[in-house]
Amino acid sequence: MLHRDRLPLLWMFVQATLIVAWCFTDIETGPGAGVSTQANGDRFKIEGRAIVPGVKPQDWVSTARVLVEGEEYVGFVRTDGSFSVHDVPSGSYVVEVVTPTFRFEPVRVDITSKGKMRARLVNYIKTSEVIRQPYPLQIRSNGPHSYFMKRETWGWTDFLMNPMVMMMVLPLLIIVLLPKVVNTNDPEMRKEMEQSMNMLNPNPELPDVSELMTKLFSGSKGSSKAGSSSKGTRPAAKRR
Amino acid sequence: MAMLILLWLKCIILCSTVEAVFEDQVGKFDWRQQYVGKVRFSHFDAQVQSSKKVLLATESNVFAALNTRTGELFWRHVDKAGAEGNIDALLHHGQDAVLVVGNGRLLRSWDVSVGGLNWEIVLDSGSFQAACLVGLTDTVRHVAVLKKNIISLHYLSNGHQKWIENLPESENVDYQAVYSDGNGEVYALGVVPHSHIAVVAYSVEDGEIIKQSSVEAPWLSNILASCTVVGQGMLTCVDSATMSLYTLDLNQQSQMTQIPLQSLGLEVAPGFHPVLVSHQPNPAHKPLSEFFLQLGPDQYLLLQLSEGQIVTLRDFKPAFLVSFATTGEKTVAAVMSPKNKTACSINLFGAETGRRLLDTTLIFTVDPNGGKPEKLYVQAYLKKDDSVGYRVMVQTEDHALTFIQQPGRLMWTREEALSEVVTMEMVDLPLTGTQAELEGEFGKKADGLMSMVLKRLSSQLILLQAWIAHLWKLFYDARKPNSQVKNDVTIENLSRDEFNLQKMMVMVTASGKLFGIDSKTGSILWRHYLDNIPSNAAFKLMVQRTTAHFPHPPQCTLLIKDKDTGLAMLHVFNPIFGKKSHVSPPALPQPILQSLMLPLMDQDYAKVLLLVDDQYKVSAFPSTKNVLQQLQEMASSIFFYLIDSNQGRLSGYRLRMDLSTEQIWEVAIPADIQRIVSVKGKRANEHVHSQGRVMGDRSVLYKYLNPNLLAVVTESTDTHLERSFVGILLIDGVTGRIIHEAVQRKARGPVHVVHSENWVVYEYWSTKSRRNEFSVIELYEGMELYNSTVFSSLDRPHAPQVLQQSYIFPSSISTLEATLTEKGITSRHLLIGLPSGGILSLPKMFLDPRRPEIVSEQSREENLIPYAPELLIRTEWFINYNQTISRVRGIYTAPSGLESTCLVVAYGLDIYQTRVYPSKQFDVLKDDYDYMLISSVLLALFFATMISKRLAEVKLLNRAWR
Repeated sequence: MLHRDRLPLLWMFVQATLIVAWCFTDIETGPGAGVSTQANGDRFKIEGRAIVPGVKPQDWVSTARVLVEGEEYVGFVRTDGSFSVHDVPSGSYVVEVVTPTFRFEPVRVDITSKGKMRARLVNYIKTSEVIRQPYPLQIRSNGPHSYFMKRETWGWTDFLMNPMVMMMVLPLLIIVLLPKVVNTNDPEMRKEMEQSMNMLNPNPELPDVSELMTKLFSGSKGSSKAGSSSKGTRPAAKRR
Repeated sequence: MAMLILLWLKCIILCSTVEAVFEDQVGKFDWRQQYVGKVRFSHFDAQVQSSKKVLLATESNVFAALNTRTGELFWRHVDKAGAEGNIDALLHHGQDAVLVVGNGRLLRSWDVSVGGLNWEIVLDSGSFQAACLVGLTDTVRHVAVLKKNIISLHYLSNGHQKWIENLPESENVDYQAVYSDGNGEVYALGVVPHSHIAVVAYSVEDGEIIKQSSVEAPWLSNILASCTVVGQGMLTCVDSATMSLYTLDLNQQSQMTQIPLQSLGLEVAPGFHPVLVSHQPNPAHKPLSEFFLQLGPDQYLLLQLSEGQIVTLRDFKPAFLVSFATTGEKTVAAVMSPKNKTACSINLFGAETGRRLLDTTLIFTVDPNGGKPEKLYVQAYLKKDDSVGYRVMVQTEDHALTFIQQPGRLMWTREEALSEVVTMEMVDLPLTGTQAELEGEFGKKADGLMSMVLKRLSSQLILLQAWIAHLWKLFYDARKPNSQVKNDVTIENLSRDEFNLQKMMVMVTASGKLFGIDSKTGSILWRHYLDNIPSNAAFKLMVQRTTAHFPHPPQCTLLIKDKDTGLAMLHVFNPIFGKKSHVSPPALPQPILQSLMLPLMDQDYAKVLLLVDDQYKVSAFPSTKNVLQQLQEMASSIFFYLIDSNQGRLSGYRLRMDLSTEQIWEVAIPADIQRIVSVKGKRANEHVHSQGRVMGDRSVLYKYLNPNLLAVVTESTDTHLERSFVGILLIDGVTGRIIHEAVQRKARGPVHVVHSENWVVYEYWSTKSRRNEFSVIELYEGMELYNSTVFSSLDRPHAPQVLQQSYIFPSSISTLEATLTEKGITSRHLLIGLPSGGILSLPKMFLDPRRPEIVSEQSREENLIPYAPELLIRTEWFINYNQTISRVRGIYTAPSGLESTCLVVAYGLDIYQTRVYPSKQFDVLKDDYDYMLISSVLLALFFATMISKRLAEVKLLNRAWR
């Protein structure tokens, strides 16, 4: 019990290096584990207070229960939010406040055979890790329980923001709007465009889609050309 | 660490794909019924004239407030089950209700209006005897608690102890009652059996003994059973041996005055212990000087004590129950007397005079399938014309509460027996009359062409008629506002729905009352009270014939076994109507060890039930010639097992041709080291769809699907933390071969087990790490099957491969069950009842011993979740959202007609029914399916094609003109 006096120091240590602290406190949890089956030992009281921020205790205490280690010991919440669980022998227990509406984090409470109490965070994986919590317990609710999944609602924005639709709509816009914005009848402009296209397109043998499009939409003449253009739009149609 | 976080993230992503409840589905497929248990104490909240509360303290350690108008709960507090939460006394004054809990361990005060705890104090040790409120000059400020050797007084406002005193001579005197009437004194009344009464008067102020005396009473053995305080502090006792009433003035305490009953012209029914009933309306005032004396099972007398003289005011015979009630200044007595065979009438009488009050008759109809009335609680109120009106709450033997208003209008009924459901089954509903008619047509023998045609025509006509009636009803209902359309379910219009989602829940309760509940609405369709049930009975419910065999009625058999003697009886009934079957069950003179349902059927399609008695003789029910012949043929392949947990013996038996048995194997488990806690086989109606699992490399790992496998769980008798262990044995029930054995060291129970398909999941408490852990065992045959066509326990030379993995579960659990579907194609979920009241639906996929620690290409291919030590509890997985179920004792799962859907009933103090879809609803359109969208899109596309076709035509025409 030597290091019990050094506890404040140790607490700082905990914060600094978790693993080292773990080794230290591993010995300390001993009493809690060792005497929990002592049947005729003294009985102790676990005390605390449960708080739901922004809600009056009267509105939720009638549905609340305090469960110690499952349903091994049961306590009730008073009208001011405080609670106490009586007749608990020494040992290590998980205390949780249970209500159907609000969520509370469980706390582990260790009681030594002499009745010394401490509270710490519950960690089921590193069971002997000590991150201190205040005692008497101050259990603050972290909001209401979320029981329900959100329905997938159908909205126009969802539909439009769909990547597939975006992929379909954007090229369509370009195809339709570009010829309107750029005056294709101006020969100078045309030349310029062709130049830029050739620069972009390293393979000049490939049929130029935009050219085909412009021809099609600015009043297509040859039926063969129209056919080839419809081939170009087919992938887009397939996506629907 | 980063790796771990990554794994977690992955896990969480996977989790989010699992089905949960949507908010708009609340109450659509599910319902909950909340109960409180058998009522022990009840008080009407009378502080306001219009109060609607009645307080109930029950034998299930529940303290609750009910709405007297509807019978629903205002609030309810569920204490720890067992002796530690036992409610010893309920005292009610104004806003406060004081409870003595746990044999006088705790004193609690509840705020009645809010339902919150005012204060709670621990009392000194000592067994509790009595408690009463103590008033002083018209106000009640204290509570007196009498224990075996001490008496203490507490403030009502904060519970603080005012004084505590030792009782004089408490080793000899048995103090049983405490009394106070507002004169500044508290009396502790004790008795030395067959010798004398001890009366000690304490001062309320400081606990000083004011008076102490002992009075000769050699005939008295128990104060509570034979005495009460009446009038001006007169202790009145009745003794059946001397046929006398005795009175003792507590203020003077000289000696008892004997008044022979004969002098009043009265006679006690032979063998009946007479009872006195008195009434103290206000603890700060003296009790009434009128009281009831019960002389026989159906005779009550209203007596008056005035100046030492007893006057008979009225003789009530026959009368079952009496009760006093006070409102304002008036006190009335309500008397229930039989009217005819099916009804009782309740009348009010003025307490002072014994005169009947006019227009106060109230009729209580006794349910022929229920129990007799047991207790009467009366709520009296003053009407506008200052006359007394009243409502009554009748408690019957079958734990039902019935609330009746004048003139016999039934307000509500609560079947509190349903708080103790022991076992249940779900039975398919029958076909409708018309469907049955059609079915019946094929059942009959062919007799000529003409008659067959006529029969067919007539049945088609009936169908047409039913259809028209249905249409008419739809039309009729559509005109009415929605709220008025009642879909009342009655036994007459019960019929199976399209997907067999609506079933009949047959529930057996510990009190011996059977219920038939409609699974869709939760309404009770039939009830049947078996009144000869022993108090410690074990029940087993079996469906012998389902509804599939029209015109034979469905048949259920309930085996009721007295746990002490082992003697059993059978109750055979129709699960749809609840009526007792005309089939008379055999009498069972010998104790029954084991019962088993065979897949054999007799000529009436009833499955055969085998009962093994303590002489290892087997009897069959039904035991017709046909059955016995079939049994003889099948005898060599009928095996059964017996468990003797006291001696730690598991033994297997085989049936012989002459219906005797022979033992073929025995497994002894040393009873001084470990004891058998539970033995779980597989469910008979379980189907497994796939024989194996496809691995990442496209090979198949075949499951070991042994239908005879038993999972035996043992716990060590040594409960020391370091040495305790939990063992699990997998034994073949036919050969006794131990397939696998696993021991979990430093672990203890309670162990919950689920055994299904090729896996066993069990949960235990790890004493070393102080946490709950899940462990899963899966059995595989390997890469090839030994015999793929049929499984035989006798011919399976290779031991299966066993895989096991364990996980941490961050809560203790109350019960465990697995989902079940029609064909077993749907993935399985585990349903875990938590002490918090939630029912968690945990995908079995998380409990898979093949979850890899390091993710590989193959494991990803198989959709295996990487191993994480801790299982998560996500509230989204609670199938009952905020409809918590207190003290879940069992979860029942049943397949429905839809492969995706499993029906779930959780029972404990409450009953909750819902549907779960472990692999989502893959075989039916979702309930939120957007018909509008799909039809509008279709229509739009249709018109678009029409228009574009037209446009194309115009364009072609234009081109042709050019």
